[in-house]
Amino acid sequence: MTFIILLLGLSVGVLVGLLGIGGGVVLVPALVYLLHLDQHLAQGTSLFILLPPIGLGALHEYWKQGQVDLNAGILCALGMLFGAYAGSLIALPLPSTNLKGMFGCFLILAGILLWRKAQLEGRAVSKAGETARG
Amino acid sequence: MAERIRRGAGIFAIASVCGVASGMFGIGGGVLLVPLLVLLFAFSQHRAQGTSLVALIPPTGLLALIAYSKQGFVSWKTGLLLIPGLFVGGIAGGIIAKKIKPRPMSQVFAGILLALGAWQALSAWWR
Repeated sequence: MTFIILLLGLSVGVLVGLLGIGGGVVLVPALVYLLHLDQHLAQGTSLFILLPPIGLGALHEYWKQGQVDLNAGILCALGMLFGAYAGSLIALPLPSTNLKGMFGCFLILAGILLWRKAQLEGRAVSKAGETARG
Repeated sequence: MAERIRRGAGIFAIASVCGVASGMFGIGGGVLLVPLLVLLFAFSQHRAQGTSLVALIPPTGLLALIAYSKQGFVSWKTGLLLIPGLFVGGIAGGIIAKKIKPRPMSQVFAGILLALGAWQALSAWWR
């Protein structure tokens, strides 16, 4: 069991580095389906895992290239701190089944947004030419 | 000046909405924040991702985590076992990403999310 968990962390980590996406979207379903955790327990555990600043190295790379809007970032951090607390107050009293279904709907929305983002990137790449990438 | 304040307030409001999703579903929130910064505030893709990283450095999920743990909804042992793999895997993924075209990969991943989401919703509500 311990080995499976270690392996799961490794594979989700590869996805995170590959796509630049927070691990939670992948972690929660993996905890539910592979480790058979309850939906609430999977979400709480995912919040715990996301606590350390895993994006620090990546942020440094973006900072060097001047691709960071610090003021907007701080505003976002504040909004998310209080928003996340409000979200947990909504989620905790819900029955696990409903929360699981709502999480499913959220994944569908995230999938659509990611698809749109990939399309936008594709357009930008074909406009700028292959040399501008990277 | 007024324009700047309005923009700041808008960004704060959108981030709060992303935060609600983050606390409700136990996720980071960047998945929503990045596309919304691009679509609503005309950030370039790179700038949106860099800015979203700033927001993800402080422990924004802390208040939510405390709320979950008060009800016993945190498996500390599983979490601790997952962290080292995530860290090493993340570095490996970053190296692989430089060698693969990102667009088809993102689209495959988007497809997986759609399928996974449909599966979760169906298994929760249809039985």
